[in-house]
Amino acid sequence: MPATYPDSAQLKGRDRKISEALLNKKRFRVLGLTPDDVIKYFFQGNAAVAILVLVLIMVFLLREGAGFFGQNLRNLRIYRLAGLEYVDFIKREVEAHTELTRAANALRMRQFDAYLKEGKTIEEANEALAQYDLFATAFGDTVNEVRSIASDMTEAAVAIKEKEQIYRDTLEQKAMLLRAGRSAEAEAVVASSVDFKSEVEALKAMQPAFLAANVEFASKIKAALALGGREPLQAPYMGPFNQLKKHAETYLNSFASVEAQMARWTNDQPIPWYESVTAFLFGREWLTASFWQDWYGVIPLFVGSLLVSAIALAIAVPLGVAGAIYVSEIASAAEKGIIKPYIEFISAIPSVVLGFFGVAVLGQCLRAVSQTPWLSWFPGFPMSERLNSLTAGCLLAFMAIPTIFSLAEDALNNVPRHFKEASYALGATRFQTIVRILMPASLSGIISAILLGFGRVIGETMVVLLCAGNRIAIPDFTQGIGAFFQPVHTMTGIIAQEMGEVVPGSIHYRALFMVGIVLFIIALGVNFLAQRIVKRYRISIG
Amino acid sequence: MNPKSNPFAHQSSGARLAESAAFGLFRGATYFILLCATMIFGVIVVKGSGTVFKASPPFVNWTFLTASPETLYVFEFEGKKMELGDKAFREFKAARGLDEIEAESYAHSAGGIWPCITGTFWLVIGSMGIALFIGVSSAIFLSEYSQQGRMVELIRLAILNLAGVPSIVFGLFGLGLFVHFMPVVAGFDDPSTPSFPIGFGHWLNFSGWGICLASGWFTLAFMALPVVIAASEESLKAVPRGFREGSLALGATKWQAIRTNVLPYALPGMLTSSILGIARVAGETAPILFTAAYVMRDSAPGGGLLDFLGQGVMALPYHIYVISSKIPQNEFTERVQYGTALVFLGLVTAIAMTSILLRIRMRNRYRW
Repeated sequence: MPATYPDSAQLKGRDRKISEALLNKKRFRVLGLTPDDVIKYFFQGNAAVAILVLVLIMVFLLREGAGFFGQNLRNLRIYRLAGLEYVDFIKREVEAHTELTRAANALRMRQFDAYLKEGKTIEEANEALAQYDLFATAFGDTVNEVRSIASDMTEAAVAIKEKEQIYRDTLEQKAMLLRAGRSAEAEAVVASSVDFKSEVEALKAMQPAFLAANVEFASKIKAALALGGREPLQAPYMGPFNQLKKHAETYLNSFASVEAQMARWTNDQPIPWYESVTAFLFGREWLTASFWQDWYGVIPLFVGSLLVSAIALAIAVPLGVAGAIYVSEIASAAEKGIIKPYIEFISAIPSVVLGFFGVAVLGQCLRAVSQTPWLSWFPGFPMSERLNSLTAGCLLAFMAIPTIFSLAEDALNNVPRHFKEASYALGATRFQTIVRILMPASLSGIISAILLGFGRVIGETMVVLLCAGNRIAIPDFTQGIGAFFQPVHTMTGIIAQEMGEVVPGSIHYRALFMVGIVLFIIALGVNFLAQRIVKRYRISIG
Repeated sequence: MNPKSNPFAHQSSGARLAESAAFGLFRGATYFILLCATMIFGVIVVKGSGTVFKASPPFVNWTFLTASPETLYVFEFEGKKMELGDKAFREFKAARGLDEIEAESYAHSAGGIWPCITGTFWLVIGSMGIALFIGVSSAIFLSEYSQQGRMVELIRLAILNLAGVPSIVFGLFGLGLFVHFMPVVAGFDDPSTPSFPIGFGHWLNFSGWGICLASGWFTLAFMALPVVIAASEESLKAVPRGFREGSLALGATKWQAIRTNVLPYALPGMLTSSILGIARVAGETAPILFTAAYVMRDSAPGGGLLDFLGQGVMALPYHIYVISSKIPQNEFTERVQYGTALVFLGLVTAIAMTSILLRIRMRNRYRW
C-alpha cells in the first residue's frame, strides 16, 4: 500500500499552524496594535519631542518676530513722511560741531594737566591758556543760531509725528468700538488723517532761515579759528590742535553737501519694503524709547557680541588646547586623575556667579592693573570703564575652556595609537610627534571644539549682561587695541535687559525676537559647521 | 661604563630643549586654568563664609538661610551707627515714637534668601521630572528600538542642534509659547485672544500661562533634554548585548527584556549622569528671566496644585543677578552678595560633585 503522504496544501496548512502557535500568540490588541507596539510608539513619540521642540522654537520665534518688518517699515516711512529725516540733516551738522567742541575741550584739559604737572598753580595754568580759551569759547558759541533753528524744527517735526500717532490711536479705538458692537459710539469718533504734504511744507518754509544762519555759522567758525593765534598750546599739543583745525576745515566744506541734500529732499520718495530688512541687518544704531526716532539696527550688538567672543576665544583657545595636549600626552596618570575632573567641574560653575565675580572682583582688578604707571605705554591703558569687553571676555574664556578642553582631548585620544608609535619608531621626540603627527591628525576635532566653544560663548547671556558694560555703540576701532577696553552691548544682553520692560506685540518686543532669531541662526550655523568639519576631515583609520 | 660611550643615553640637542620648553608651557597653561578656578572659588568662599557661617555655635547663620530678603537701613542714632532690616527698623521707630529717621537704604541687603532656595528647589524638581521622563524614554527608543532610518537621523540631528541653542533663545521660546500662548481654561470668553468653547460654560483661552512655575519647568526641561538623553543613552549602551539576547531567547517580549534585563542595570547610571543636567538647570538664569522668576516674593508658592503651578518664584540665580546689578557695591551690600553666591555655588557644585563621584562608583560596581 502506498504510503499516504499529506499533500502539499495540507502540509502548508499544518506548518502555518505550528508557526502561528510558536510566533504569533493570540494577543490582546487595541486598534490593531499589541501592547508591545504601543510601548514602542510611546517611546518613539517621546523621542520625537526633540524634533517638536526645535520646530516649536523656530515657529514661535518667527511668530513673535516676523511682524517686526512691517512695523519697522511703517516706522521708517513715517520718519520720512513727517520730515524727521529732513530735520536730521541739520541735527547731524549740529552734532558734528558738538563733537569738535568736545575735542577742543579735551585738548584743553590735557594741556591744563600738563601745566599743573610742571608746577604751575591753577591760576597760572588758566592764564597760560587764555589765548586758547578765546578760541575755544568762540568756537563753541558759533553754533547757537543754527542750534535754535534745529530745535524749532525738531519740535515741528515731532508735532507732525504725534498727530499721526493720534490718528492711529483713534482709528484703533474706533475699530475696538465696532468690534464690541457699539457702532453709534464708533460713528461719533472722528479720525482725521494727517496731510503730510502741507505739514511738511510748513517745515520746509524754515529752510531760508536755516540757510542764512548757516552762512553766518560758517563765517563765525572761520573767525574763531583765526582767534587761536600761532601757538596757543605747548609744542606736544600743537599737533592735535592743528589736526583739530583741519577737521574744522573739512567740517566747513561739508556744509555745501548738507544744503544740497536738503534742497533735494522731498517727503514723498517711496521707501521700498526691503529697506526695513536692511535697516535691521545693517543698521548701525540701536536706539529705543526715544522721543525722536527709534532705530533697530543689529550691527552694534552683533559687533559687540563678536568682539567679546573674539577676546574670549583668543584667551580660551591657547589655554584649552594646551591643557588638552598636556593632559592627554604629557601628564602622569595621577595628574590626569585630578586635572580632568577639575576642569570639567569648572563647567558646572553657574554663569551668573562668574558674572557676579566680574562685577565684584575682576573688573576692579583689571582696571587697577591698567592704571599702574609703568604699563601706561600700553595702548588703551588706563581703562576708562571697570566693566568692558575685556572683563566679559576673560570670564567667557573661562566658560569656554572646559568645552574646548574636553572636546580637544577627545580628538587627541581618538588618534590611532600606531600613528604615534610609527613616529616614535622613526626617532621623533614626543614634542615632534605631538606637533607633526597628533595635531594634524586631530585638527578637525580641535577646530570643531573651537567652533563649539565659540557657539557657547556667543550664546552666553549673564556674564555679558553683567560685565560687558552695556553701552550700545560700535567700539571705536580707530583706537587699535584700545577698542578692546571699551564697554559694549551684546545680542544676548540686550534681550535679557530690555525684554522685561517692553509691551508684548510692540515693535521693540518684536525687534528683540528678531535679535533672538539672529542668535538662533548663528547657533545652528556654528553647530552645522562643526559637524561638517568633523565628518568631512576625519582621518581614515586603517 | 663611560657614559659617553653609551649610545642609548639621553643626548641634549635642540629638539630636546624645544621639547622641554614646550612641555613647560603646556604645563604652565594647564595649571594656570586650575589656578584661576581656585581663585574664583577662593574669593567667593572666603568672602561668603562671613555671611553664611559664624564663629559661635551653631556656626551656621540660620537667619540668612531661612529669612526673606529685606531692605537694609543704615543710620546713625544717638551717635551709634545702626544697621537694621526693614521689619526691625519699623519696630525700632515705633518703639521710640519716631516718624522718620534719616537712613540710607539698600534693597535686598538684609534678611536672608529662603524664598530663593525654595524657588530654585521647585524649579529644579519640576523641570528635572519632566526632562527625565521625556529624556529616558527617548533614550530607550534610540538605543533599544530604533533602526537606521530617516526618522532616527532626524531625531539625532534635532538633539544635537538643541544642545547648541543659546539659553536666552530658550527663554524667548518659553516667553512666546508658555507665557503668551499656552491655553488656559477659564469661565469667560477672552476677546483679546483666540478662544474656543469647551462646554459647561468654559472656554479655552489661548492667553498664555503667564510668568509661573509651569512655564519655567517646561522651558528648563527642554533645555536639559539633550544632556539627559545623551547620559541615558550612554548607560543603556553600557549594558551588554547578551542580557537582552538571553532574555529574548527565553521567550520574553522586547519590552519584557528591556524592563527586566536592561533598565535595572542602566537606571542608576542614567540618574547619576542626569544629575549633571540638574546642575545645568539649577545654574541657568537666562531661561527663567521672563518665564518664571520674580524679583521679590515674600511667601513660598502655595495653594492647590493649579494655583501652585500658576505662581512665579524667586530663584537663586536670578536673585544674584538682581543684587549684583541693581544695587550698589559697598560694604553693606557685599555681605548678601557674596553670601548668596556662596550658597548657590555650594549647591551647584555639590550636585555636580555627587554626579561625578556616583559615576565613578557606578563604573566600579558593574564590570561585564
